[in-house]
Amino acid sequence: MDIDNGSSSQINISINHLDEWIAQLQECKQLSEENVKQICAKAKEVLSQESNVQPVRSPVTVCGDIHGQFHDLVELFKIGGNSPDTNYLFMGDYVDRGYYSVETVSLLVVMKLRYPDRITILRGNHESRQITQVYGFYDECLRKYGNAEVWKHFTDLFDYLPLTALIENRIFCLHGGLSPSIDTLDHIRALDRVQEVPHEGPMCDLLWSDPDDRCGWGISPRGAGYTFGQDISTSFNHTNGLDLIARAHQLVMEGYNWSHEKKAVTIFSAPNYCYRCGNQAAIMEIDENMKYTFLQFDPAPRRGEPHVTRRTPDYFL
Amino acid sequence: MMESTGMEIDRTEEELYPIAILIDELKHEDLSFRLNAITNLPTIALALGEERTRSELIPFLDESIDDDDEILLSLAEKLGEFVNYIGGPSYAHILLRPLENLAATEEQVVRDKAKSINKITDVMSEESVEQYLIPCIARLSQGEWFTSRSSAAGLYANAYKKSSSETQQQLLAGYERLCEDETPMARRAAATHLVKLIPNAPEYLETFSIKCFKKLAHDDQDSVRLLAVEPFIAIGQILVEKKAWKNLSGKKELFGEIIKLCQDKSWRVKYMAADKFIKATSDIASFQKQLILVAERLLSDTEAEVRGAACTQIVGLLELVSKQEDSDIKQFLIPIKGLADDSIPHVRSALAKHITGLCSIFGRESTMGELLPIFISLLKDQDPEVRLNLISSLGKVTEGIETISHSLLPAIIELAEDKQWRVRLAIIEYVPLLAQQLGVDFFNDKLVTLCMSWLGDPVYSVREAATANLKKLIDVFGIGWAKETIIPKILATSNHPNYLYRMTTVFAFKAIAPSITAQVVQDLILPCLEALTNDPIPNIRFNVAKCMWELVEKPKQSDESSQIQESFKTLLHKLEEDLDQDVRFFASDSLSKIENWQSSKNMMPLENE
Repeated sequence: MDIDNGSSSQINISINHLDEWIAQLQECKQLSEENVKQICAKAKEVLSQESNVQPVRSPVTVCGDIHGQFHDLVELFKIGGNSPDTNYLFMGDYVDRGYYSVETVSLLVVMKLRYPDRITILRGNHESRQITQVYGFYDECLRKYGNAEVWKHFTDLFDYLPLTALIENRIFCLHGGLSPSIDTLDHIRALDRVQEVPHEGPMCDLLWSDPDDRCGWGISPRGAGYTFGQDISTSFNHTNGLDLIARAHQLVMEGYNWSHEKKAVTIFSAPNYCYRCGNQAAIMEIDENMKYTFLQFDPAPRRGEPHVTRRTPDYFL
Repeated sequence: MMESTGMEIDRTEEELYPIAILIDELKHEDLSFRLNAITNLPTIALALGEERTRSELIPFLDESIDDDDEILLSLAEKLGEFVNYIGGPSYAHILLRPLENLAATEEQVVRDKAKSINKITDVMSEESVEQYLIPCIARLSQGEWFTSRSSAAGLYANAYKKSSSETQQQLLAGYERLCEDETPMARRAAATHLVKLIPNAPEYLETFSIKCFKKLAHDDQDSVRLLAVEPFIAIGQILVEKKAWKNLSGKKELFGEIIKLCQDKSWRVKYMAADKFIKATSDIASFQKQLILVAERLLSDTEAEVRGAACTQIVGLLELVSKQEDSDIKQFLIPIKGLADDSIPHVRSALAKHITGLCSIFGRESTMGELLPIFISLLKDQDPEVRLNLISSLGKVTEGIETISHSLLPAIIELAEDKQWRVRLAIIEYVPLLAQQLGVDFFNDKLVTLCMSWLGDPVYSVREAATANLKKLIDVFGIGWAKETIIPKILATSNHPNYLYRMTTVFAFKAIAPSITAQVVQDLILPCLEALTNDPIPNIRFNVAKCMWELVEKPKQSDESSQIQESFKTLLHKLEEDLDQDVRFFASDSLSKIENWQSSKNMMPLENE
């Protein structure tokens, strides 16, 4: 894959700065517009070195959609351990819907810059210019920064995010699902990914498709991507020597959900999605022996309200 | 000449520039611009200078008052801090006008912020209070809408302090009218702020404070009556200070009022009275018999909220009872047992939190005979919060802890396995306290295994708390105990097949570092860490590197210290050559910290010479 950096000179951000910004973001305080510009420029440089099928070593903890639910991302780290102590692989959809898309995606990008070997971030269907203008990220940037520059920096960066990851050549991770135009991982490796998510075609399918109970390929009710049956998963895994397809993209009430006789699993890491769905979230811990464990979790307790005491009834307020 | 004129024009333009921008921004259609302009008011004021701020900016702001609530809120806040920008306290009254308008707005949060008039009152001279503030309060108090009258109530207490005795009389008369305002909103405001006014006017206790209190306590709205409890407490405090309870002519009547509030037909009023019961009544010695009867009734009220609030008062209540010669604390055992079996978990939970405070009142025999069975039933409660609350307050159990320990253990174990990780976390935090009370034998017997099992919890935060817990246990039981019991068990976890749990080994070393000696590091920990520097997982290796620095800095120093430092440095040098960049980074980081620390240590004796 050939990626033009636009400039040959490397951008340097000191480790102290990155550590400072991580600490700031962990308190849910947004970065300045100038700093966002810097991290996005640097992240383009880092991500352009990564493959469309980015190899990832075990042990690693695999996470699904976050959708701007910043406080639940903090909860996720409380459950799974802090970065860099725990290795993480996020399968996209960091922005939109929740109230803190800016802080969420900033934190993940700065973590990626500080510990590129400890965290992998993939592209979800919401990491796109079109979708973010409808589902909240654009408006949030406008509200928090007063202009669309930050949104532009991030969405330009999103074009560089890897599409899929491959854990120890055995677990294939991506946001959506399979594509009728793709049989092998090499097909994916050959794609030119640095572009807005197209409306159709292999790159679109990887970010939009869903597994389904019906066999074969089906028309997706989403209007993009396809549905794929167990036969498709089985033959894709067989052709590419895979054990499992791990993907996100769909709300599942238990936080994770097996399909296709354990050939595919859905992982969703936004508890009480949109602050109203009542679902649990989950992450998948894969240890160095490729043994996996699912950890489920609930939303973080709301701030200022300790878990164990009862709320004052509203009519006292 | 030409030149100087040119400069003159330039300067004027320069001076006008900021106010021009401000005016532009204040009229901008985008809210965020207008808001931004308000936040920058101090800057603008500085640029304009004090005089023009007074003569131009403040009137301008006053005129532009009809705007979005968010703007008004921000403006009200800023104006409160504006005294210095308009030329100091002697001009403070200029700010009253815009704030008075803000105090009359419809939005309550804006009105609340407009109480920054009080900040201004504090710096105003007594003359200008009389001249400007008192008329302002009078206008607000007679405003057409309840909004301005409610705001007025909050301004009396501060103004009162700075007024002549004649004006004070007027203020009190005005306040009394607010207490009988036609709208409950203004009466509620009057009730809320009465608490602040009462201590300022102790000499008018009967003619003003008690009179107002009674008016509020007799209000036909329960939302007003419930606010009468706090003023009653304030009145009581003054009576105690002046030692005036005994000679108070209407004391029986006054006392009757609080009893009435405790028995109000509205449960919200009863809740307030129950919640503040001890504070309100503990000073009224001569009527305690009657109070005890009322308290008993609150404890068995039909409303769960009232019972729960009464539970929070139980210790103070029984203290009162125990001081009465002819009453028996045991008469309360029946209602207390009833509360322990209450159908509402929230009530049992409130009881569990406070009941252990009764031990010192009941004494050894009655604690053993009467209270412990109640504790045991609460320890077996179906609601984890009830069990947790009792365990968290076990520190107050002075007698017979060994008797309940056999019930305690199953309760702890069950909470330790609760499916909610925050419950598990909470119980871990109480373990050091239990360790202190139960003693080392019981602990070794029953709890060590549990404590070590928390190191293997699937949730990271629980594992983290478990390591912090080990440190606290070493502080309780000593280093000798740690060497025998827990350190060997920590070492054993370093062979776990999952890196996240081997990481816990390293985190445990880091956590216990301040409570161990260099010798323990040398004998027990160093070999384990050395092995872990070869761990296949980089995350373990860089945490080992981080941990080494902690193990140099934190433990008590001894002869072994320098030897350890050298061993660690050798290992860190090796890790600096690691294939993983994060391992290299943290190895160098620890190494330089250790070297800096060593050189600063070596400097010390020189300084002493």
